[in-house]
Amino acid sequence: MSNDIRSSHRYTPKFLIVLRYILAILVTLIMVFPIYWMVITSLKTPEELLLPVPTLWPKKFAWHNYRDVLKMAPFGQYIYNTIVMTLGIMALQLFTGIFAAYGFSHGRFKGQNVLFLVVLGALMIPIQVIFVPIYVMVAKLNWINTFAGLILPNAVSAYFIFMLRQSFKSVDKSYIEAARVDGMGRIGVIFNVLVPMCKPTVLTVTIITFIDGWNSYFWPKMVTTKPFRRTLALGVQELRRSYAGIETWNYNQIMAGATMSIIPIVILFIFLQKYIISGVSKAAMK
Amino acid sequence: MIQTKKEIRPAETGASKTVNYRRRESIKDFMCVVPALVFLIIFVYYPIVHLFKISFTDWNLIRDSYKYVGLKNYKWLFKGSGFDVWLASLKVTLRYTIAEIVITIVGGLLLALLFNHTSKAFNFMRPIVFMPKYIAVATSGVVFIWILHKDYGVLNQALKSLGLKPLPWLVSEKTALKGVLMLTAWRVMGYSMMLYISAMNSISVDYYEAADLDGANGFKKFWYITLPLLSPMTIFILVTTFIASMKVFQSIDVMTGGGPYNATNVMVFWIYSLAFEEFRVDRAAVVSIIFFLILLACTALTLKISEKSVNYDA
Repeated sequence: MSNDIRSSHRYTPKFLIVLRYILAILVTLIMVFPIYWMVITSLKTPEELLLPVPTLWPKKFAWHNYRDVLKMAPFGQYIYNTIVMTLGIMALQLFTGIFAAYGFSHGRFKGQNVLFLVVLGALMIPIQVIFVPIYVMVAKLNWINTFAGLILPNAVSAYFIFMLRQSFKSVDKSYIEAARVDGMGRIGVIFNVLVPMCKPTVLTVTIITFIDGWNSYFWPKMVTTKPFRRTLALGVQELRRSYAGIETWNYNQIMAGATMSIIPIVILFIFLQKYIISGVSKAAMK
Repeated sequence: MIQTKKEIRPAETGASKTVNYRRRESIKDFMCVVPALVFLIIFVYYPIVHLFKISFTDWNLIRDSYKYVGLKNYKWLFKGSGFDVWLASLKVTLRYTIAEIVITIVGGLLLALLFNHTSKAFNFMRPIVFMPKYIAVATSGVVFIWILHKDYGVLNQALKSLGLKPLPWLVSEKTALKGVLMLTAWRVMGYSMMLYISAMNSISVDYYEAADLDGANGFKKFWYITLPLLSPMTIFILVTTFIASMKVFQSIDVMTGGGPYNATNVMVFWIYSLAFEEFRVDRAAVVSIIFFLILLACTALTLKISEKSVNYDA
C-alpha cells in the first residue's frame, strides 16, 4: 500500500515499534475472537458448554453437532433459498443498474436530470420506513413465501446505479462513438466497451450486492413465514428454540449453524477483499 | 445493426432524417432507464404514497376492511397513549446512534493510527480487523448473545478473572443497550479504520516534512495536520453512520427483541412490532411517517453542516 507517514521520515525508537506490534496483535486477536469462539463452541459437548470456567479448546470434539443441526432444521433448503434469492437480486440489480447507468451517463433524452433525481431520491427512502406498505402490496399479490416476494422489491439499487453511472461517465465519449461507427448497437457498446472498461467498479458493486443479499435479514423476515422459504440468516434464528420461555441451552448447535452460514462469505472475503476494499474507498470519495 | 436499418430507409431529406434518427436514439436511451424507474416507482414511490393513505385509516391487519378516520392515529401518537412510547423509543434510538457515531469515529481513528503501517504482518492483520462488517448481523448477533451470557458468557468470565464486576448485559434494562453496542463496536470499527487509512494516505508528506523542520512532535503533527485534514472523511463517516444507525433493527431483533422492558425498543423495531405483533398497520404507518420526516430533516441538516465545514485539500 503506502508508506507509513509518521515513521518514514524520522527515526522511531525501537520500543515504540515493538509496542505497535503488540497492540496491533492484541486488537487483531480481540477482533477474531468472536469468530474463534463461534467455531470452538460449535464443537463442544453440552456438558462442556456449561462448565463454570469456559474452556478455550474443546476437550472432546463433538463433530456430530453439525450433523444434528442438519437434522434439526432444513439447512439444505435454507442454503438453496439463500442462493436463489441472492443470485436473483444480483442478476436483476445488474440488469437494471447497468442499463440505467448507461442511460444516465451516455444517453441523451428529455427529462434526464429530473429522472436521475428520482433515482437519487430513492436513496432517501429506506426500506425501514416503507416496509409496511410494501408488505401489504406483496401480501395482496400472494407473494408471501415466494421468491418473487423475496427478490422483486430488491430489483433495483439506487446506490448501484449511482456508483456505476459515475464510473461510466469517466469513459470518454470517443470510445463509444468509435464503437457506434463500427456498427455496434447500444447493447454492444454497453457490454463490449463500457462494462469491460469499468470492470473494477462492476465487480465491486456485484460483490457487495452478493454479500448484502446473502446477509439480508430485514426483508426476508417480513416476507417469509414458513421454513421452506426461509433464508440462512433467519434459519440460524430457528435453531434458538425456546420452550415456554425457558432459555435454550443448545448454543453448540446454534454456533454450528452460525459457522455453516458464514463460510461462503468468509471465503469470498478472503479471495475478493481487494475489490471490497476498493469499494469502501470509492464510496467515500463521492 | 440498428443504425444500418435506418441508413437503408429511403426518401427522407437529410435534415428530417437526422431529426428522426436523433429522436429514435433518444427514445432508445430513455428505454434503458425505464426498467429501473418502473421498479423504483412500484417499490419505493408508490409505497411511500400508500403509507400516507394508510395513516388516515383504522386498518388492522386481522380485518379485511378499513375506513378513513382522519387524524385519529396522529392524535394517538402525539396526544394519546402512543406519545410516551414514541418519546422513549426516540430516546433509545438517539442514544444508540450517538454511541455508534462515537465508536465509529474515535475507534476507527485510533485503529487507523495503529494499523497504518506497512509490513507483511500488518497487511495480514488489517483485513481481519475489517472483516466483521461483512459477517451477517443475524449470525454475529447470536455469537454475541453467547459471549455476553450473564452466567456462562466468556466475557463475564474474563471480567471476573481480571477482578472486575461481571455485568448482566442483555438481560438487564440498564445494560442491554451496551450489550448491543458491543456487537456494533466489533462490526464498525474496522470499517471506519479502512476509511481513515485511505484518507491518511492521501495526505501529502510535505505537510509533515514542513512540521519536522519546525520541530513539531508526533502529537502536534497529529493534532494540527492529520486531524484537520481528515475532517472531510470524519464528516462523511458521521453522516453515513448517522443515517445507518438510526435505522438499526437486526441486532436489536436478534439480541434483545426490544427488551427488557422496552429498554432497546428502537424506532424501526417499534414500527415492526406495531405492524406484525399488534397488527396495527395504521399506527405503524404514522410512526413510519414521523420517523421518515425526522430522518429527512436530520439528513438535510447534516449535509448542510458538511457543506459549510471547511474543505481542506486532502
